[in-house]
Amino acid sequence: MLGLWIILILACLVGAAAWAGKHRTVKAIDVAGLNFLTPIVRLCYGEEPEKQLKDIGRFIVVPVIAILLFLGAWHVVSEKIQTKSGKLPNPRDTLHAAKAINDFHYRENDKQAAFNLNGEERAQELERVEQRLEELKPLEAEVNKNVAAAKEAAKERLATKVAPLQEELDTLTAKFKDAKKQRDDELASLASQAAVGDEDAKNAFVGKVRAYRQLASDERDRLRDLRTEINDMRAEKDPEEQRALAEQTAIAEERQYLGKMQDQLTDSNRYEKVDEENAKLQEARETLYAADSATILKAATKVAQTEDRIDRIEESGYAKPATLPYQVKRSVLCVFVGFLIGSAIAIPLGVLCGLSKTFMAAMTPFIAIFKPVSPIVWLPIALIVASAFIPDPDKHWFTQWLWELPLLGEYKINPAFIASAVTVALCSLWATMVNTAFGVAAVDKDHINVARVLRLGFWSRLFKIVLPSALPLAFAGLRISLGVGWMVLIAAELLSSSEGIGKYIWDQFNNGASDSFANMVFVVFVVGIIGLVLDRMMIVFQRLVSFDGAPTAI
Amino acid sequence: MAYLELDNVDFGFGPVSHRYEVFERASLAVEQNEFVAVIGFSGSGKSTLVSLLAGLLKPDRGQVHINGKVVAAPGPDKGVVFQNYSLLPWLSVYGNIELAVKQVFPSMKRGERRDYIQHYIDMVSLRGSEWKLPGELSGGMRQRLSLARTLSMKPEVLLLDEPLSALDALTRSQLQDEIIRIWEEDRRTVLMITNDVDEAVIMADRIVPLTMGPAAHLGREFPVTLPRPRDRATLNFNPEFKELRNEVTRYMMNLNEEAKSLTRSVTLPLPDLQPVLPGPRVRVG
Repeated sequence: MLGLWIILILACLVGAAAWAGKHRTVKAIDVAGLNFLTPIVRLCYGEEPEKQLKDIGRFIVVPVIAILLFLGAWHVVSEKIQTKSGKLPNPRDTLHAAKAINDFHYRENDKQAAFNLNGEERAQELERVEQRLEELKPLEAEVNKNVAAAKEAAKERLATKVAPLQEELDTLTAKFKDAKKQRDDELASLASQAAVGDEDAKNAFVGKVRAYRQLASDERDRLRDLRTEINDMRAEKDPEEQRALAEQTAIAEERQYLGKMQDQLTDSNRYEKVDEENAKLQEARETLYAADSATILKAATKVAQTEDRIDRIEESGYAKPATLPYQVKRSVLCVFVGFLIGSAIAIPLGVLCGLSKTFMAAMTPFIAIFKPVSPIVWLPIALIVASAFIPDPDKHWFTQWLWELPLLGEYKINPAFIASAVTVALCSLWATMVNTAFGVAAVDKDHINVARVLRLGFWSRLFKIVLPSALPLAFAGLRISLGVGWMVLIAAELLSSSEGIGKYIWDQFNNGASDSFANMVFVVFVVGIIGLVLDRMMIVFQRLVSFDGAPTAI
Repeated sequence: MAYLELDNVDFGFGPVSHRYEVFERASLAVEQNEFVAVIGFSGSGKSTLVSLLAGLLKPDRGQVHINGKVVAAPGPDKGVVFQNYSLLPWLSVYGNIELAVKQVFPSMKRGERRDYIQHYIDMVSLRGSEWKLPGELSGGMRQRLSLARTLSMKPEVLLLDEPLSALDALTRSQLQDEIIRIWEEDRRTVLMITNDVDEAVIMADRIVPLTMGPAAHLGREFPVTLPRPRDRATLNFNPEFKELRNEVTRYMMNLNEEAKSLTRSVTLPLPDLQPVLPGPRVRVG
């Protein structure tokens, strides 16, 4: 899989180099900020092969080695970190989690499709599902057998491992019991002597008692340690048993999925349900036509009810749970909405700040006070305000209108989404504002002189001289803003329960299933990679508007 | 009355407490269609002179006249070629000229404008580089573009602020010839600032030195009567050329020495301080 990707990328590079020419390919790579690919293109043209190989070594092989070292270190460390929710997931667990998340997504999509299937297609799909169910039966039996065997074997292994310890425990328990009894007897006899003795003898007796108490305590500790050791051994999961169980779970999950599919294709299918209701409607109509004055009201009500129900079923969709890919898309949408709101506020204000020192002086206190405010503070405020405007998203015209939109409707924009977006906007707009103001204020004096000689009016001066020369800095600000926005968004979603990556993390944290931890670790990489892509995208924009060829990549 | 006139102008920078007077009673008169070179040492206020003439700066006292009218604000009738090109780096060669042409001749039709811009691009020999950005041009090409942009505004007065000082010697002489060629094709009033005596002698009708600042003014004028076209190759053997060049140079050197002798050298008595040397370590208390 990975090899395929590498070959694909290389093929694209070679193709691009052959089609567009070396110079243009290198330039495109440079604009995209993927400079590590340059030596490959140059090598294809046989340009200083030694130097190119050295560059490939430095910019491709070294990072790959670093990644491998990281994975190795992660694997080793994860073995050592035991938490309440299980061991820290190692790279393999994380990959498994990724696969499970992916499977879940596709299976839910299948179910949704099945719900909407009808006619020939439905019959075919049903046949496929039932066939697979048949295939699964022997597999399931085998897996169950494997699990039983593995459990048995594990139990035996455990028994042999625990036996010597248990034996030691038993002997020690008996021994300590005897010792204690002996000591008690001794103390009893000493007590009678001490009772008649002088004060020194009585004090000596106290010393004796203390020493024996200490002995008893030590023995208790020893026994407790042994018991803990045995319990730990019992609690330890047998790897082979785990493997067998995992296989069993996979099969069980697939069977459950197929069962659900079957249901969606038969009883729960939309058309099936509609047909059923139609039959009822037919019946109700017949009763209606045959009704007399005493029963006609009841019959008419029945017809009306059935018709309503049919309408509802036809409108209804499959109640699909949110899957991670959907949540990722919604998060990206949310960050862009917030980013756009923020930029729409920050760029005009930044331009005004840059143009007028007076306006800048008026804005400075607000920038200084609001800039350091944490997203955690903005979010509840934004949530209250958004909820005040849209108290019931199911009835409000704005959300209803948004839900009807062709592409956006799927994402069910609600007050939590709006609050998260506004939080992103409030936290991310400062970088853009400050950078735009700085860019506008720092327009080259010579360019202003040109504008004066040409007698450009205020607007031409703004749009032809000031803004173009401020663009590179403004885009540098936008890039920082988007990065900040993405970081803020995850926290905002986590708190506002807006369906997205943040909520996914929170759900996993609260869920505490055996794979939750691995899912969360996987999401770390998802968030990182999306952040990287967003940043690269902004770099490309920044490169496109920067006329001085300023270095922007890293 | 001369066409372009600087009339008893005072100009200075800074607040009253530490004011720097650039010009004191500076006067200059340029006739219509005359090519005047103003020559001066660096720091004598050459660029300030151009800014004053262009209306980018306002004199503290006195006035600047063009064709009898007082210069109040900068405008396209006073075309300036700046020392550091002042091209807009995000616009192409064509775009830089287009910006000026659109602003100065708003009623020009699209096709006509294209031909007009192309004419000026051809005039400064930049054909083929129309869509390059200034960053992709050499220094000489940038200065040509700057010149073309200024000429495209059809200014009545052309003010060249050390247009060639950032260029190498070869490009420089090439561009000198080009400026002269363009000027001869389309005569107008030109005032060029320079720091190169040869350049001034080859190009100008008249040379006006600027005395050393602070409080500079324009010194003795040297008319250049060499016939045009002036051929660079034979000029070096022309006795008139040699004499004029020597004369101007000598005058400039005298100005320099004069300026040096005028600067006050003040001896300030320093207090007699002795350094404290580290002595042996002493225990305190």
